[in-house]
Amino acid sequence: MTSPGRLDTATTAAPDPVDGGAPPPDPAAERRARLLRGLRKRWSFVVLLVLVAVFGTLRPDAFLTTFNMRSIATDASSYLVIAVGMTFVITLGGIDLSVGSVLVFSGVVSLQAMHWLGTDTWTTCLAGLAVAVLSGAAWGLVNGLVTTRGEISPLIATLGAFAAAQGLAFVLAGGQDMHDVPLTLANGIGYGSVLGIPWPVVIALGVAAIGGFAMSQTRFGRYTSAIGSNEEAARRAAINVDRHLVKVYMLSGLLSGLAGYISLARFQTTTLNGHSTDMLLAILAVVIGGTSLLGGVGTVLGTVIGVTIPSVLSSGFVILGFEAFWQQVAIGVALVIVVIVDQRNRRRAALR
Amino acid sequence: MRMRTPPLVALGVVATLVLAACGSSDDGGGSGGTGSKPVKVTFIQGVAGDPFYETMACGARAAAAKDGVQLTVQGAKDWDASLQIPLLNSVIATKPDALFIAPNDAQALVQPLKQATSAGIKVILVDTTIADTSFVSSAIASDNLKGGEAAADALAKLIGEKGPVLLVGGQPGVSTAEARQKGFEDGLKKYPGITYLGNVFTGDGVAKISQLVSSQLAAHPDLAGIFALSTDQSEGANNAVKAAGKAGQVKVVGFDAGPTQVEQLKTGIVQALIAQQPAQIGADGVDQAVAAVRGQTVQKTIGTDSATITADNVAQPDVAKFLYTTTCG
Repeated sequence: MTSPGRLDTATTAAPDPVDGGAPPPDPAAERRARLLRGLRKRWSFVVLLVLVAVFGTLRPDAFLTTFNMRSIATDASSYLVIAVGMTFVITLGGIDLSVGSVLVFSGVVSLQAMHWLGTDTWTTCLAGLAVAVLSGAAWGLVNGLVTTRGEISPLIATLGAFAAAQGLAFVLAGGQDMHDVPLTLANGIGYGSVLGIPWPVVIALGVAAIGGFAMSQTRFGRYTSAIGSNEEAARRAAINVDRHLVKVYMLSGLLSGLAGYISLARFQTTTLNGHSTDMLLAILAVVIGGTSLLGGVGTVLGTVIGVTIPSVLSSGFVILGFEAFWQQVAIGVALVIVVIVDQRNRRRAALR
Repeated sequence: MRMRTPPLVALGVVATLVLAACGSSDDGGGSGGTGSKPVKVTFIQGVAGDPFYETMACGARAAAAKDGVQLTVQGAKDWDASLQIPLLNSVIATKPDALFIAPNDAQALVQPLKQATSAGIKVILVDTTIADTSFVSSAIASDNLKGGEAAADALAKLIGEKGPVLLVGGQPGVSTAEARQKGFEDGLKKYPGITYLGNVFTGDGVAKISQLVSSQLAAHPDLAGIFALSTDQSEGANNAVKAAGKAGQVKVVGFDAGPTQVEQLKTGIVQALIAQQPAQIGADGVDQAVAAVRGQTVQKTIGTDSATITADNVAQPDVAKFLYTTTCG
């Protein structure tokens, strides 16, 4: 089970079959060719570099500042947490459209739990975290069970959860954004930072690191890509496919819950209207990052890069003073181009 | 084994870039805009593409051209703090001399706007407001309380001062909408014959609003009047009334005077519109921003008037200035 284009393994630099043959006649040309091939494989990273270079050249005073880098990182971090979960779901060959709604739902119930406690201590915040994460995982359990036991497409199952979680969040919140997030949480996590890095970024990178490790080094990750590339084969290899599916959807839900909790800390409100397109951004990040929509190939490091591109684009566009709607156009075009190039490279790699 | 890992090289480049950026980070102090340098102002709309905020942007652009101000307009695609705050942060990174913003949330925007102030950017609020205005230079808005009262009066007149009426609101937590609702509810107290059925929160999106209002029409067949709080709400309520075959029977008063609403007023689907003066608010935003940057006196709060527009007076030139556009004229 080789995975072309996989970025997250430390052994990714293993020699290509072609390189392993006779010594090349011209070392410089071979080096160039190899560099080019490497770059093509890491297309999304090159796109990110080019974007940073372009914006940085045009407005170095505004774009390349600590403040802006921190803003971009914080912005991307909120999508990164759900995108890590999405990476597993897509690698599995599934899809989770419910992430944005589950995020909002978990934020609402978590805030309600903290209001119910009525205190403003770290214990309150931890209780809130537990509620957020568990409620997210509960939605994931529903998604997983509906997909496996109900035997329907995850597209439909999670679309249903998307609508239901959003609706329930509005019902629970009384149709309005709730406020009064405990100050311990807002000041500690929302505005707090470690060594100058905002807590939301630290948490998101932590999640990505664990996710990357789990994807490449653990049985959980191997099962995920095994099922994604050939479900029947995985079943015959005595993998309990249904149970693993449920676990992966629960992971995605759990991370959405965590993202909802971080969102509470950052914005001190339940942001009921701000997450309707989160699933698109998460899918976009995962696909731009190099995870195959067909399943079987997943890379968390790629997702980290994929999630940064839209944030860099929107920040850069605002800084250059483009109209807001162009940002969406550019992000949409970027997605399609990256996927076209990526698929072409994959086909070429498969032919080699 | 040399040169095997271009991504590592690239990573190194980025790391260097980032480090260089961190190293050369400046203190973000405002330049003050003294002397011949043009004043740089950014306007952050409540939501992009909305006729109300587009008209505000038009007013701002006209004032900016007159005053020689370098104006940039930005807006998020939806009305939500989680979308507006990253946008605001990018604007802060460009270090304009001043910014004026229609904040999406009364509490969530306080801290980020304080950050703008501490970066040396003068902050002015337009339309909506925030919980703590101690640090802002000026707050400019329609007098929404009076606007709500005007709507109550207009609706009462249309329905003969009796019957059940409904308020169709957007989403709670929006300071302007809350003021309009309060003004409307206070205004209705003058009319004992009118029963107030309460506020239906609909969120945004004409289709969804239309659907929710349709259900209300089914639940209250004797409904006499609707006050729709904002652009989308007017349109949605109109669609629902029309679809129920009750055009004219259920009187609708809308807030705002976008092209669609004016068209509906002319065709008799809406009987009255309460219009704000977004262009004036935008122009005031630029003027106050310039005054704040140049250290001149600013008005801490400015309340702009609203007007009641009916089919009878819509053509009059003194009412025409209240109509919104999506293209700057």
